[in-house]
Amino acid sequence: MTVLVGLSRDERAPAAVHLGVLLARSLDDDLLVCTVVPPPWPPGMGRVDAEYQDYLDRSAQEAIERARELVPPDRPAAFVVARARSTPVGLLDVAQEHGARLLVLGSSTAGVLGRVAFGSVADRLLHTSPLPLVLGPRGFRCRRDATVRRVTVAYGATDGAGELVVAVAGMAARVGAALRVASFAVRPHTPLTAGVGSRAEDAVASEWTADVERAQCAVLKEVERLPRQPSGLEAVVGHGTDWAGAIEDIGWDDGELLAVGSSTAGPIERVFIGSRSSRIVRHSPVPVVVVPRGAAQALAERAENDVG
Amino acid sequence: MAPMMQQAFRRKPVEVMAAETGIDGHGGGQLARTIGLFPLTMIGVGATIGTGIFFILSEAVPVAGPAVVWSFVIAGAVAGLTALCYAELASAVPVSGSSYSYAYATLGEVVAMGVAACLLLEYGVSGAAVAVGWSQYLNQLLGNLFGFEIPELLSQSPEGGGLINLPAVVLIALCALLLIRGASESATVNAVMVVLKLAVLVMFVVLGITGWNSDNLADFAPYGVTGVTGAAGIIFFAYVGLDAVSTAGEEVKNPRRTMPIAIVLALLIVTSVYVAVALVAVAAQPQAGFEGQEAGLAAILENVVGASWPGTVLAAGAIVSIFSVTLVVIYGQTRILFAIGRDGMLPSFFQQVNARTRTPVNNTILVAVVVGLLAGFLPINFLAEMTSIGTLVAFLVVSIGVIVLRRTAPDLPRGFRVPGYPVTPILSVLGCLWIINNLRPITIAVFGIWVAVVLVWYFTYGIRHSRLRAGDVPGDVS
Repeated sequence: MTVLVGLSRDERAPAAVHLGVLLARSLDDDLLVCTVVPPPWPPGMGRVDAEYQDYLDRSAQEAIERARELVPPDRPAAFVVARARSTPVGLLDVAQEHGARLLVLGSSTAGVLGRVAFGSVADRLLHTSPLPLVLGPRGFRCRRDATVRRVTVAYGATDGAGELVVAVAGMAARVGAALRVASFAVRPHTPLTAGVGSRAEDAVASEWTADVERAQCAVLKEVERLPRQPSGLEAVVGHGTDWAGAIEDIGWDDGELLAVGSSTAGPIERVFIGSRSSRIVRHSPVPVVVVPRGAAQALAERAENDVG
Repeated sequence: MAPMMQQAFRRKPVEVMAAETGIDGHGGGQLARTIGLFPLTMIGVGATIGTGIFFILSEAVPVAGPAVVWSFVIAGAVAGLTALCYAELASAVPVSGSSYSYAYATLGEVVAMGVAACLLLEYGVSGAAVAVGWSQYLNQLLGNLFGFEIPELLSQSPEGGGLINLPAVVLIALCALLLIRGASESATVNAVMVVLKLAVLVMFVVLGITGWNSDNLADFAPYGVTGVTGAAGIIFFAYVGLDAVSTAGEEVKNPRRTMPIAIVLALLIVTSVYVAVALVAVAAQPQAGFEGQEAGLAAILENVVGASWPGTVLAAGAIVSIFSVTLVVIYGQTRILFAIGRDGMLPSFFQQVNARTRTPVNNTILVAVVVGLLAGFLPINFLAEMTSIGTLVAFLVVSIGVIVLRRTAPDLPRGFRVPGYPVTPILSVLGCLWIINNLRPITIAVFGIWVAVVLVWYFTYGIRHSRLRAGDVPGDVS
């Protein structure tokens, strides 16, 4: 299998390559780095378009060369330049051609350093990609020999959420990482004009927390029945008055990944990021894996039947 | 009997309350004291104005005549006294909540259930009343803008000659939907609403004063003092919400100083606006014209100016601001029921939280259905009077609570003390009693039956399922 890295031709590129290397090493997969350039237009009279095309090809080659330097010599890696009108389509074509299992992207430069931000390509793929998508925070770096040590899965105690946990547990077991099931209790501010005090929402949040903790226990029991176990199991609930606070609350380590599921609003075979997942992803300090529902089902089944 | 009485008067220990709302120490500690005098005053004004002034005159003027102006002053004074008492009780019980929580911590379980019965009126029934008022202004606006009005059959209660008040029901359904999705009014929205409401009322006063006719005031108090206090009972409805200031105590900077000033300031602003509006209204329109008048302020303004645009503007402002009031009132009701459910006195149905929306969905739907039925089928004057008596009795209990707590726990640290103790709480109690005494006998009778129903529920279900009894938490039965 292959880990495909979508390479931009600017300062964002190293983050995606670092993340690709980390994942390829953890999964013991090949690395494929791909940059997409627009195809040539029909030749015009002034030959200006050809000059532009030359410039694009040159910049693509330069980007590939820079990426090559970032990949440690012990990792098998291939580099391609694809031609496509649309970058997301080009990336998905290459992914299909090479049988990629993950598609890795960096963050937009419009985001905050150290947080995940969707650029236009990521945004499109977050609503259409048939394979799991990995987004690195802006400026992501890691040591050359780093591997994934823990995977945190965002768990909303809703339909299909258990399946995602089992699927991610299987992946964590495969890479020898620990599994952490995390839920986020976000307490909105109580409207003070209601005259029920400033803590009315705390009671609701603590009730929700109690429910979700029970659900977490149940899903961890399911994980314990899997033939291959992650190297550790843990469940946490992050509290905060907003998503940023709740996500920060649970603490994050180096070598950690965050996995979120797809919304039930989208088609089963594709990633379709939901409103809550999207909030979680945007505040994540670690790389995020977004799993399509179909892939979660398949992975969960594989984890349950995995005997070797 | 003795053990039963002991159970009925068991109090919920404050530490348990604090532990319940604080989650594993996550944000369960002190809230940041961020609210200063001005925002706190705005909370008071925002929570109060808009609940009654837009439609209460057509109920109160037929009872008191132009002397309704004095009814506003009396109701305001009583509301202010009780708000001060409320603030002391709120500061003595270091968990924030409604008067239900305070009564549970200080006066015992059965009193808390009695207060809960009152709060169902203060919130649920007032939500219905406000929604009915909203539907009147909606019809006014539709009529002015499009020349189309929702037929009486679908916009009046059966007593008013219709079948169902559909706009009011729809409003409540919309609010419930928003609450289920997890909407909540922010400080910014409150500020915008305060400005909007004040602007609309100031516009009424400025334009309405051109229609001033002293002849309308000639027979100033046709029904004497009885009329004035009777109207004060109805009008008390318009002061519901002033207690919201007290419940914000935990987040207020320097509460000892800020709290009383904010309450008095909010009260002054609200009462001045009410008195100005009432005075202009009774001077501009003969008192016979008030009875049965719908969307009163807009209608008066149109008659004075002789054009429809001021009425249209006023109706639009009223529609927006009453919507926000309805939302907040229904929100408050669901959270009070939630608290009672957590204490075990209601079935666990009320405290279930939906995993996806993170809101108490069952609870919200049930509240919306009941409030919707009330709004759809009952006339506004009955709803307003029920709200008033519920609020007055809740305030009465709170004022007594202040006196009781000063005697039983004199050393309890209090963030705020009522100035002029013991005169203030006693005056507050007397004021409430005086106004209650002047309400219609039917209102008092229905209220008595309602409280009896709730107490029967308590003695058959609540007392046995209370979490204090179940031993989940240690009760304090001293």
